[in-house]
Parts: sequence; structure tokens; C-alpha cells
Amino acid sequence: MKAPSRTQRSRWINLASFGALLAFWVIVTTPFGDKPLVQPLFLPSPGSVWNTFITLTQNGYQGKSLWYHLGISLFRFGLAFTLTVLVAVPLGLWMGMNETVKAVLDPPIEISRPMPKLALLPLLIIWFGIGEVAKVVIIVLALFPILSISAMQAVRSVGRRKVQAAMALGASRTMIFRRVIFPASLPGIFTSVRVSIGLGVTMLVGAEMIATSAGIAFMAMSASDFLLTNVVIVGALMMATLGYTLDLCARALENRIVHWGGKEG
Amino acid sequence: MAPAGEIKARFDAVSKRFGTGPESVLALEPISLEIPKNAFVCLVGPSGCGKSTLLNILAGFETPTSGVALMDEVPVVGPDPRRGVVFQQGALFTWMTVQDNVAFGPLATGKSPAEAVRIADHYLEMVGLTSFSRRYPYELSGGMQQRVGIARALANDPQLLLMDEPFAALDAQTRELLQEEIKRIWQDTRKTVLWITHSIEEALFLATDIVVMTARPGRIKARLSPQFALNRDPAVVASTEFVRMKAEIFGMLRDEALAAQRQEAAI
Repeated sequence: MKAPSRTQRSRWINLASFGALLAFWVIVTTPFGDKPLVQPLFLPSPGSVWNTFITLTQNGYQGKSLWYHLGISLFRFGLAFTLTVLVAVPLGLWMGMNETVKAVLDPPIEISRPMPKLALLPLLIIWFGIGEVAKVVIIVLALFPILSISAMQAVRSVGRRKVQAAMALGASRTMIFRRVIFPASLPGIFTSVRVSIGLGVTMLVGAEMIATSAGIAFMAMSASDFLLTNVVIVGALMMATLGYTLDLCARALENRIVHWGGKEG
Repeated sequence: MAPAGEIKARFDAVSKRFGTGPESVLALEPISLEIPKNAFVCLVGPSGCGKSTLLNILAGFETPTSGVALMDEVPVVGPDPRRGVVFQQGALFTWMTVQDNVAFGPLATGKSPAEAVRIADHYLEMVGLTSFSRRYPYELSGGMQQRVGIARALANDPQLLLMDEPFAALDAQTRELLQEEIKRIWQDTRKTVLWITHSIEEALFLATDIVVMTARPGRIKARLSPQFALNRDPAVVASTEFVRMKAEIFGMLRDEALAAQRQEAAI
């Protein structure tokens, strides 16, 4: 069959591309003659980064284990992400269903959408203190407009014919929402969920920049103050892995739940 | 057969204007049309003549600007499971299996899940899709998807079937096969049907009554009663009478299509 072989081909290219990047990293950091092309202070070799990672898992960073840093980052992201999905998606669905609700909520959401949320961080710290609340709130603020507006758009772009067909079949408003509009909106909602994972991880880095003493991004930030390039890179790669893994999970969930996405019938 | 003259549904001076003020468009001039019980009425007319609007009004999806559509002498105020609707395409519930699509109507009208599945299986058998009941609509060909749409509409056992160019997006061979199939289903169930089509041959092959509409604003130009609906032989399309009527309707529609083109050019 043609289709699987094409995916397989893409897989190989993915792998080769990744390998090439790694090879490039190895080449510029391996000493040929007396010193490598790039100084370890600017870019340490993969091997030494790996060793740093192992050391960090054993000794932790600034008195806290690496897993504690990772755990607190995951907790901030997870809490903010879950809260936002639970509130913004139903609200967006409601906005899509009801013109009045849309008219009320559209202005605050649209105004807040282009606002750079990180600029609000100092204010949030004044409001909520230096604890976890400000960090969670800033991620929520960033994700909220995306998730609510996409859910609203998803509802509004449900095919009119499908809704009419359901009405003609005698479905109640509740049944139309539960069995037609909601499932028809799911592919759009999943797309925005995946977008917001990427944005959420980015916001997490911002939230851990100020007034914190734990978290993977904090670790990378503080290490850069001491020119611990290895730790910076371990931190950056861990954030990347975190974002990538979450996206993979979301994609797997998407393929399972909205298997009809993008297909017409 | 119902007693002669029994009317299943009718349009009483129904007109439709889209928009308001000077920008508004008159889609339908006041139209009165009777749909006899057990009849297979085909509406043919040039694009934009308002035939879909007429169907949407009887379905209860749109309200007329003036006049009223009635079924069993009761004014239509909204969609009703006693009127089944089949669309051209894109109306199936993509996230449900074929069986769940067909069971949707029975469930919506209060049947138990087990009963709904039994009904769905019955109508899937009628359209020859029993072995596809666990598939999803996107796994089916266009022709099979339309069969699902027809089975879904039939599952509520509606008294009136409204079909808006159901075969227009299909290739010629599939269309012909489905036409024979819908003819068989109509002959077996004797549902009253309002059918919209672009195809004169389709109308002649299926209809007991053909209503020819004018270009916008739509009016009724002619009403014909072909005699081929009860014939089961696909070869009727080659008969002299069939060919003669085809030429007659073709001539009428050609005039209207030219009128429609002039309208477009004027805009």
C-alpha cells in the first residue's frame, strides 16, 4: 500500500533530520586538534550535557532535586491548563450557542487577546503575591482567549445542514447540542488545545522568570547567572521534551477521539 | 392508494423575500401548490429559482415572507419528525457510525435504544447497507452516504419526504442505480415525496407530478403528470413518450435558464 510507506518515509526523514542536528552539535563541540570549533562556555558537547543531566538527577539543583523542579513546573502548567480548559471551553461553547452571551463576553476576551500577558506579571505579583497563584493566573490569562474563542468558532462553523437534519429528525435542543454540535466542534477544540500546550509551556518559562526558587525554567534562568551553560541547556531541553511529550499525548488523544476530523460524510 | 384528491401538503400563496429594503431579493412570488397524498412531486427549475427555498419552508427551516405551508391542513411552524429531509451532501453525522446515524431519529422521537437499533437495521437493509452499519460515513462512497441519508430520513417513518437534490453530487452510474432504488422504495412505501432536481430525466423517471418553475422570482410555469413512476423497467427512458416529454420540459427550462442568465448579467 502506498499510504503507510509514505508515512514511513516521513518517519525516516524526521529521524535523519534529528540525527543531522545532533551530528552538527557533536561536530562543532568535539575538539579537533587542541580545541573545539565552539567553546564549551557557549555550547557544551552533548556528552557533557548528558553528564550534567545525570549529575543533576543525583544531586539536584540549589538544594532541590531535579524531579522537584520538574514536578513544580508540571504542577503549574497542569493546574493552569486544566483550569482553563474546564472553564474556557464550556464558556466558548456557550458563546457559540447564544448571541447574548457572545455579546457580553466578546469585548473583554477580544481586548485581552493581543495583550502581552508577561507584561502583566509584575502586576499579578502585586495582586496575588509571589506564590503559585500569580504563576498559574498568568498562564490561564494567556490560554483563556485562545481556548474560548476557538470553541466559539468551532460551534459557529458546525454545518447548518447537520443541525437542520437533527432538527428534522425530531431532536430536542439538548440532544442537538450533546450529539451534534458538541461532537462536531471537537476537532476545532482539539486544534486549539494543541496550540495552547505550546503557548502554555512558553508562558510557564515567563512565569518562572521572576520571584521563584523552583521550576525547570527557574533552574535554567538562575544557571545562566552563574554561566552554567550545561544546566541552561539541560533546562531548555527538558522544557522542549515536556512540550513535545504533551503535544504527542494530545495528538494521540485527538486521533482516538476525533477520528473523523477533517473528513466529510 | 389514497382517495383521489386527498392532499398531503400544500403551499398557500407562499412568497419569500431575502433581506429588507432596496437590497432585498424576491426569491419566490406567491406560490400555491398542492402535493397529493402518495404523490412523487418533482420540482425542476433553473438555479436560483427558489425551489430549495420552497422545500426549506415546508421543512420548517425557513419562514415564508407571506402565505403559509401546510401539512394535513396544519400550518408548518418548524421542523417536525413527520417530515423527513434528505440533503445533497454534508448532512450526515460524521462522528457516528452508519447505524447510529440511522438510529438517531428513532432515539430522538422517544424509542428505546434497542428499538432504535432494530429500526436502523431494518432501513439499512432496505438500502442495502447492512454490512456497513459499523462503518463511519467518511469510509463510504458518495452513493452509499446518500443511502445512509435516505435510510436515516425513512427511520422516523415520516409521512412526507423532502429531498433537496439528493443525487446531484453523484456520478451518472451511481445516480441511475439510486434512482431505480428510490423508485422501488417509493413504490413499496408510498410515502408522499417532494423532490428537487436539476435533471429532467430524473424527474420524468421518478415523478408522478413535475412542477416546472421559472427563473427568479420563482413562479410555477407548468405542471405535468408523467406516467413512468409506476413503471419498474429502467428502459422507459428510451420510450417515445419519455423522449417527447423530455424535449418539452427541456424547451421550457432552456427559456428560463436564458432568462436567469440575463438576470445575472444585469446584476
